Amino acid sequence: MIWFASLAVLAGVLVSLSRQINGRLALSTSAMESSFWNHIVGLVFITGVALLVGGLFAGEPAAAPWWAYFGGPVGVIFIAAGSWLIARIGAAQTALLIIAGQMISGVVLDIIIGAPGQLWARTLGVALILAGMWVAHGGRAKG
Amino acid sequence: MSQSSQSKQILYFSAAFGAGGLLSLMVLFNGTLAAYGSLFFASWVPHLTGTVAALLFLIILKPKRAEVKRPPLWVYLGGVSGAVTVMLTSATLNSALALSGTIALGLAGQMVFSLFADTRGLFGLRQRTPLRRDYMALALIIAGSLVLIFFGSGS
Repeated sequence: MIWFASLAVLAGVLVSLSRQINGRLALSTSAMESSFWNHIVGLVFITGVALLVGGLFAGEPAAAPWWAYFGGPVGVIFIAAGSWLIARIGAAQTALLIIAGQMISGVVLDIIIGAPGQLWARTLGVALILAGMWVAHGGRAKG
Repeated sequence: MSQSSQSKQILYFSAAFGAGGLLSLMVLFNGTLAAYGSLFFASWVPHLTGTVAALLFLIILKPKRAEVKRPPLWVYLGGVSGAVTVMLTSATLNSALALSGTIALGLAGQMVFSLFADTRGLFGLRQRTPLRRDYMALALIIAGSLVLIFFGSGS
């Protein structure tokens, strides 16, 4: 559990690192071109690692539902949006608002896929996040 | 604050909030792939279909390039960091952390590093000093996320 928790924290650091580097590339090119390079460089990297380690097509990938293959196009828009936003509102503000959207939609998805959860906690969590967004917005509007 | 910067602010907020929703979908899609195939497969597929989609977007939209001058080579390496991220989140989604735990713990790493990067102006991006309100917003959003991690799932 601690091991998976550390991996999840590290994933967050890498998300921010990746967004900053892509944001810098978008400053010289465009948000969509930055997203293109992000994906093709990532593709080359993963292909290389998979060839070294093996097992790319292990398991039963053909049995996965069709909609699971749509992470790519969704990711292109996500990366382009992050690259565009980070130069305009900064890394922390971008991350904070993306997290707010991620957490609230995460709760909605958990409910849709039927993951167990308590209603009061989900309500309180979402309410605190919305309050945080309201405070963040007020801070900028007066500044 | 002027009317136009106020509406820009709302545009940025909406775009970032919507992007967060897209990220949840990505974690779900890629994690589902990982449940059937290998972790490599779950990262390889979205990068392959994403590359094709981005190429199509570039051909159709033809966005203007900001500079003629070539940027330094390291700015093309964001994808390596992103590729590792997909592998990590696909692994944790299928652990006891589930979707909300994976997302919530990732936010801690993301926020600490983002605040550090802003205050230092890392990677050629503008240096910014977070306001007291930013930290208050951060505390509220983290509190909400902790409630979701520790009490949100019934297990």
